[in-house]
Amino acid sequence: MSEVVVENLTKKFGNNTVLDGIDLKIVAREYFVLLGPSGSGKTTLLRLIAGLEDITSGSIFIGGKKVNDLSPRERNIAMVFQNYALYPHYNVYDNIALPLRVRHMSPASVREKVREVAETLHIQDLLEKKPKQISGGQQQRVALARALVRDPSVFLLDEPLSNLDAKLRVEARAFLKRLQKELGITTIFVTHDQAEATTMATKIAVLNKGTITQVDDPYRLYTMPNDVFTAGFIGSPGMNLVRGTAKKIGTEWQFKNDDMVVDLGGVNLDGECQVVMGIRPEHVSLAKDGEGLDCTVSNIEPLGSITFVTVNVGKTSVVIQLSGKIDLEAGSPARLVFDKDSILLFGDPDGKRLRTGPDQV
Amino acid sequence: MKKPSAMAVTVLVLLALVCLFYLFPVYWTLVTSFKFGNEIFTYPPVIFPLRIDLANFFQPSTTAHATNQTAIGSIPWLIDSTVVAISATLVSTFLIAAPAAYSLVRYIRNIWLGRLILFMTMIPEVVFIVPFFLIVAEVNLLNSWWGLALVYVSFAAPFATWLMMGFFNEVPKSVEEAAEIDGLTPYQIFYRISLRLVTPGLIAALILCFISCWNELLYALILTYSPYPTGAETVPLFITSFLITDKSFAWGGLAAAGIFTMLPTIIMGIFAQRYLARGLTLGAVKG
Repeated sequence: MSEVVVENLTKKFGNNTVLDGIDLKIVAREYFVLLGPSGSGKTTLLRLIAGLEDITSGSIFIGGKKVNDLSPRERNIAMVFQNYALYPHYNVYDNIALPLRVRHMSPASVREKVREVAETLHIQDLLEKKPKQISGGQQQRVALARALVRDPSVFLLDEPLSNLDAKLRVEARAFLKRLQKELGITTIFVTHDQAEATTMATKIAVLNKGTITQVDDPYRLYTMPNDVFTAGFIGSPGMNLVRGTAKKIGTEWQFKNDDMVVDLGGVNLDGECQVVMGIRPEHVSLAKDGEGLDCTVSNIEPLGSITFVTVNVGKTSVVIQLSGKIDLEAGSPARLVFDKDSILLFGDPDGKRLRTGPDQV
Repeated sequence: MKKPSAMAVTVLVLLALVCLFYLFPVYWTLVTSFKFGNEIFTYPPVIFPLRIDLANFFQPSTTAHATNQTAIGSIPWLIDSTVVAISATLVSTFLIAAPAAYSLVRYIRNIWLGRLILFMTMIPEVVFIVPFFLIVAEVNLLNSWWGLALVYVSFAAPFATWLMMGFFNEVPKSVEEAAEIDGLTPYQIFYRISLRLVTPGLIAALILCFISCWNELLYALILTYSPYPTGAETVPLFITSFLITDKSFAWGGLAAAGIFTMLPTIIMGIFAQRYLARGLTLGAVKG
């Protein structure tokens, strides 16, 4: 039940900088997710917190104690690996009991603790089996049990759901979230799957190329991304991003490029500038004749309750989220409108979100 | 049934020829050991003897002027071979190869050091004969179990180390990392996790080391000169004694002794094959 603080952390493998000046504060009992595409350094960050890699520079504190020079053994952390990393030569009971045995706990209390955690995770019937004799989902629970059995102060999970099939993964998500709430252990979860991140996390840190782009709760991350990368990475499909110029026409601002002109309303910019306009697919809709922008439908992806329609405005393609039955086919003409209050503007080329209104701080 | 292709037939015929080439001497030894008296010398030779005679195993040759050795008389040499081969094997694999291979794979990670160990096993023994003779003589271990075993370790240990390195390389890193996080010390990780995971490899190394020690002739020839209980001559020397003689060869006794010598290594070879072929990680790690 400890907080984890990371200060100005840098990790290099040879000349390759994998993490560059990471600052993080993970509050006790928080369900914290490190989210990023592969190669963003998220797993390396987790391994540094675990002590499996050496720090190049910076510091890590667990429960207020600097752990830079402590081995994983001395940090009182627990970790679940992507491949579970169970001990194949031990049965499930011994797998779970090993962390207690090496701490010289009495056999009677080992038995009691193992039974207790096995019941919590519903694996009490598997205790005699070897890891290879149980399914992937069961192996994952055993890995969780082994991690939880000794009351760690921090719980680290490295993409533990990625080897499960889709249905099991959704179940495991809910299960993990409930378990974390019950046990109240500070949890750091690494994933590249943003749906996994937003469904489970109390807070998410988005990583890109070794730096943190934003640390926020899932809702703010979705509605107020700090930069173009986060805007495109969060959400499925990501935010529509269109490059152009913002110009003041009279009292109103306008977004303009070769393909379109869009009213932005009363935004608050210093002067004409290059921008990237961002808008979520659910804030774009189709309009009646005579309104909006001319476009051509290029692709339709029905998902049941909602449908994603990709349209081309000149050379720019925009994804629209529609609900209900759609009477469109690829190639047919349509007209689209943007909900101008939901438009975000990002600087170009730095990609940072511009302060465009009083609520968008 | 599908007709086998010409290629498959050719391969089969070639394989059969190769097998014949290597197995015929074994068959000859087996058959000769069961032949009686002068049947051994008939021409054309008897390939499928109709009568089995065990005299070669228990009685001195009936041929005049032949050596007095019998196969059953090989027991003192067998004792020497067993003691020397087992002790050299245990020391090489458990005391040297397993810890050395593990630290080379996990901690030192110098590919050239690993190759150097492999090269050591490739140097012909004959190069070391004089130095080893002088060393063993100097420490007063000539014609003793421990002198011979010590020298055997010099080739068995690098071979076993090289073999075990391959097996330790197969142990998934994440299993060791999980153990590290679970609170095991590096030494505990070695003997509670990694060594257990390479058990099939360890057994294979044990058997292969044993076989190479059991069959070794050259060092034994130089470093020993009498069998148990006064010395430490090993079984290959006993076989050779049938050949190195001023009298005529006792082929029957030689073949019978050969069978005695072969049996343990054949049985072990069958076991080694099973363990060498066995998967290591036992399916515990997905992905």
